[in-house]
Amino acid sequence: MPLVLYAIAVPYLVLQRVRQAAVAARRANRTWRHLAWSALAGVVHAAMLAGAATLVVVVWQLGWLAAPMAAVAIAPLATEWVLRFIAVPAGLHRLAYHAARFTRSGADPRAFALCMAARAAGDLTAVAWVEAQRDTRTPLGDAEIAATGLVAATRGDAKTARAMLRSIAMIVENHPAVRELAGEWLACDAAERGAWGELVDDAAHHRWPATPLTYLLEGIAARHLEAAGAPGPYELWARWALAPRRRATRRLVAEALAAPAGPAATGAAAPVEASPIATALGRAVAAHLAFESQPAVARDLALAVQAWDAALGDPATRSWLAQRALELDAPAGTVERAVTDVAGAVTDELARRAEAAQLGAPPGGDGLVGAALSRRLRHGRLDALEAAFARWGERRLDQVPHPAIDEWREFVALRAAYLAAATAGGLELRRLAFPRAFTNGSNVAAWLWNKRQEYALSHAISRWLLAEAILVGDSEAIELGHRNCALAVPTRLGHIQP
Amino acid sequence: MTAATPTAPSTSLADNPFFVLGIATDASRIEVEREAQKLLGMLELGFADAAIYATPLGPRARTAEGVRAAVAALRDPQRRLVAELWARHAPPPRHAAAPPREPGPAVRAGLRRALGWRP
Repeated sequence: MPLVLYAIAVPYLVLQRVRQAAVAARRANRTWRHLAWSALAGVVHAAMLAGAATLVVVVWQLGWLAAPMAAVAIAPLATEWVLRFIAVPAGLHRLAYHAARFTRSGADPRAFALCMAARAAGDLTAVAWVEAQRDTRTPLGDAEIAATGLVAATRGDAKTARAMLRSIAMIVENHPAVRELAGEWLACDAAERGAWGELVDDAAHHRWPATPLTYLLEGIAARHLEAAGAPGPYELWARWALAPRRRATRRLVAEALAAPAGPAATGAAAPVEASPIATALGRAVAAHLAFESQPAVARDLALAVQAWDAALGDPATRSWLAQRALELDAPAGTVERAVTDVAGAVTDELARRAEAAQLGAPPGGDGLVGAALSRRLRHGRLDALEAAFARWGERRLDQVPHPAIDEWREFVALRAAYLAAATAGGLELRRLAFPRAFTNGSNVAAWLWNKRQEYALSHAISRWLLAEAILVGDSEAIELGHRNCALAVPTRLGHIQP
Repeated sequence: MTAATPTAPSTSLADNPFFVLGIATDASRIEVEREAQKLLGMLELGFADAAIYATPLGPRARTAEGVRAAVAALRDPQRRLVAELWARHAPPPRHAAAPPREPGPAVRAGLRRALGWRP
């Protein structure tokens, strides 16, 4: 009997290792190898089930001993099934947590368990439970941030969920299973919004380990945009066959194969119709109206600024204003004041919409409107950024320490505001904003490392500051950044030497 | 540069005094006063037609305060000049709401849930 047991148990264990290796290899590949490793993992899984069933039949004659042995053989396979088909769909967050802990071996199985509980959480009680579990885990790592993102999605706050899940990429601690979950949520979210560009960009930069579903959605996105390396019909159907939720994804695949290239694929801007309005003022008002009444885009803003600068500097405008001022019996100086008033009102309206849409001032605008808009956008953004970074730096002086996840949220929000301002204002604004970001960011990073023992957060902040220092060419900040970023980061997965 | 004060009526497109009063840009002072009195009376009596005015950005709600502010703006030659500059060069006012915008990327509501995520 022991020989028989060995004959079954040893291959079973070997198959288990092969399956783990296949899943790990699949994560790193976005080629045909991904499909091959997925297929191998599936075949091995089936073989393990068959082996477990055989083992149960063989040991059945051992009487009561059969039950624990069968449990040991079948439980790892069964819990995956329970997790996927019962705990998560039914919203059983505690069951999801414990089942997920059982399915993962290694240094930190609770990380994946926390995220699966967050994925299963279906109401506010479950969310509170997940958050309580998260808060018991210090220091903060990728799993805690992912769980925060997933419960934000449960609350219906997809924007926060996106920001939190994307921010994981900055964290040096790396649980591959957690990142798979984050990547899959982001892929499904992007597919729901039709944001195919995001999916293609994530795939091109290998930001997340690919699950079969993520890999399928990336292929669908690439087909929609006719991106380089987009899969052919056979390959896309093969991805579909290996991915879960085939009923839901079948239509997506069919649409992607039938769809013509989207606007992003061609990259061509819509042709601008020639304005039928003859006068410079007519063209300016029409361009203004176009910018006000449609989704704000940089091209329309540039056209409006250009048209207003031309109109207000046009001698014909001045002579028309002078003529009307005379007819209205207006006092002297009315024309100049009217031009100034119009330029001010136009700048106000354009700046308000440009700020809301995070647009930068168009380059080369040196007329009445263009110059004022540039000053307004740059100064407004800079002031807001400096105030926000100052508030961030002062947080460490608060009497009541904030939870680590709140510190992270604050950093993620500030970084997003900084990047938006830098994108709109260009390198000049980046250079102006960086010193304040660097001073406060360095202080906060040092405080998080030394006083709060939040090593991964501190490292992420230092790494971001270093990247920005290199961009703006601040040699002192670069030197300090290199020193801070070279420190080994203690995590649950051991000390990580960046 | 003089920024528009928050209390002053905007002379640009949406609340341009000429659009608020529904008059031509070459209307005389007497015509402006007469039209304002007529509109104030109609608003007081609750005439539905008087409650809406057309602008190039689509229809807007007309109020008694808006009418009084528009008349005050047109009594001042400089503010009238600025209001004329906008109104005279704007496309014709539209009585109907703006047509629906071009659809963005297709949103597949509920796809995330169908793919095993909540909500």
